[in-house]
Amino acid sequence: MEAERVTVPDVETAAGRLEGHARETPVLTCGTLDDLAGKRLYFKCENLQKSGSFKFRGAYNAISRLVSSTNQNPPPVVTHSSGNHACALALAAHQLDVTAHVVMPRTAPQCKKETVRGYGGKVIECTPTEQARVETMERISAQEGAVYISSSQHPDVIAGQGTMGLELLRQVPDLDAVITPVGGGGMLAGVSLVMKSLNPHVRVYGAEPELANDAATSLAQGERCPLSYYPETIADGLRINMGPVAWPYIRDNVDDIICVTEEEIKNAMTLIWQRMKLVVEPSGVVGVAAALSDSFKAREEAAKNVAVILSGGNLDLLKLPDLLSMSEHV
Amino acid sequence: MAGKSYCISFQNIQAALSTVRPFIHRTPVMTCSHLNQLSNRNLYFKCENLQKTGSFKFRGACNAVSKVIASNQNSTDKELSVVTHSSGNHAQAVSLAAQLQGVTAHIVMPSNSPAVKKEAVRSYGGQIVECEPTEQSRVDTADQVAERTGATMVHPNQSPDVMAGQGTMVFEILEQVERVDAIVVPVGGGGMLSGVAVAAKELCPHAKIYAAEPKNADDCAVSMLRGELTPLPAPPVTVCDALKTSIGPHTWPIIRDHVDDVITVTEEEVKAAMRLVWERMKLVIEPSSAVGVAAVMTDRFRSLPADEHQNVVVILCGGNVDLEHLPWM
Repeated sequence: MEAERVTVPDVETAAGRLEGHARETPVLTCGTLDDLAGKRLYFKCENLQKSGSFKFRGAYNAISRLVSSTNQNPPPVVTHSSGNHACALALAAHQLDVTAHVVMPRTAPQCKKETVRGYGGKVIECTPTEQARVETMERISAQEGAVYISSSQHPDVIAGQGTMGLELLRQVPDLDAVITPVGGGGMLAGVSLVMKSLNPHVRVYGAEPELANDAATSLAQGERCPLSYYPETIADGLRINMGPVAWPYIRDNVDDIICVTEEEIKNAMTLIWQRMKLVVEPSGVVGVAAALSDSFKAREEAAKNVAVILSGGNLDLLKLPDLLSMSEHV
Repeated sequence: MAGKSYCISFQNIQAALSTVRPFIHRTPVMTCSHLNQLSNRNLYFKCENLQKTGSFKFRGACNAVSKVIASNQNSTDKELSVVTHSSGNHAQAVSLAAQLQGVTAHIVMPSNSPAVKKEAVRSYGGQIVECEPTEQSRVDTADQVAERTGATMVHPNQSPDVMAGQGTMVFEILEQVERVDAIVVPVGGGGMLSGVAVAAKELCPHAKIYAAEPKNADDCAVSMLRGELTPLPAPPVTVCDALKTSIGPHTWPIIRDHVDDVITVTEEEVKAAMRLVWERMKLVIEPSSAVGVAAVMTDRFRSLPADEHQNVVVILCGGNVDLEHLPWM
């Protein structure tokens, strides 16, 4: 059973709500990376977004809509998240004068937990499994009367993430393809629906760690195939399975999902940090790794202008040495 | 200061803008609510860490190389070349500027320069000539190369063409920031500080110009205090490896006359500011780049009158940092 579909008008409404609150992030280019990719790459810098990731868009849109649809005092909100949605929700809630309860895995980066608290969010820790996240969230929701704002499966969140698609169509001339990382699928769902509705010749790709390749498998099989375990990958924001609400959008609008190895992710990290001087987390460079991969090059040999979303930059700087490749593989 | 003549004029900087424009990135200006809250100002960060070759030095290098070509237009049989002694940002900048304009770049570097810096210079097409790790050897080797090849010397901060090139960033800043009350500029040799000061005095004369300098390499601050050029007596020890040179005879008079104050910062303040920018702005900046950020957080800067210092531009001058040797590890 599918929830009511998010449409382009919903995304345009979201853009209106976000104006003055979320940033229209810059698109940057880099000659070295163009040479490596064999195409002009346009990097949408969501690491520069409020709260350090694109998640702010969806969170703000969802809470904003909740606030305007409630007559008196809006209820608190609750979510479970490994980090970026937690920070985004806490900041958005703070800006909209709403209390946020955030369930986070014990193993989430310390800086992310501190950031949530810094934004006024209340952190509740749980064991690092999807089941524990959900159960703890449901308990808090019942206890506090809090409305659940999913990190990727809420239609208002998908609409919020879709605003990146609208901006890309304005910011990048003659766009041929877009690559976004995929975890829960909120960003890929929102961006792909915008592209296929407004500019169907633009190809849309998801990028996923090989170690967490549920979305790729699902697309290949034609049905959602979640992993039964919580995978290990340095792309800690993408460990979650692609969810049931995001799936139909991905099934219908995404051209392919490209899987990349841990080494390819580390290599992309080194390139972005060293060449582009941007702080981007491993999950955030998965799209870059995909753009540089043999399979993408083979598939999109003729493409000239490819947008890649750098989804976020929240990471523990002390862990950086483990996240880079020792030497650039050019 | 009527009648004063410096080695560069506003017209030089204006000309440099047209010269360098086809080659450089028009870098963005970014803001950060958290840093505004911490500093109690509206901060506007000019992101020269995002400039080609990773620092603002590319501006001056492009201008200098173009001028070499222009002044050799009649000798078409000569293969043009430039030479400089630098192991850092200027070396990379000159290498790429030369490569893009069909000129050979000879880069004199100490033999013990980090491998990553040598690789960067090579990747931009620079030809490395090694020297002993002493000031004398750098200068002598550069002279020898110039004599052998006919290469023109491009000094990293005292060359007027380099100084004029650095000043071009002010034109962009004024297009990007509605109201500029003050500009904070890190200072090493003073090429950027003097270029920015001359441009700003013409384009936004009401704006105050502040130099930001490591306490451990405070020749500019001391010179301003004494009223005369006072280079460092010995090579300084500072994490700001791009700011170790002293200001010189070409940059000093401009700094003396046009800079409102020099704010010095400790090593700890620099490291903390660098980490703040990495974590909150998600920008990779090198320690020398954090000096300006550290400066606006000092008590000294905070005590400046708020109404005259509300909108402050801070130059993030570069982002070339060895990722395997970060100051907080």
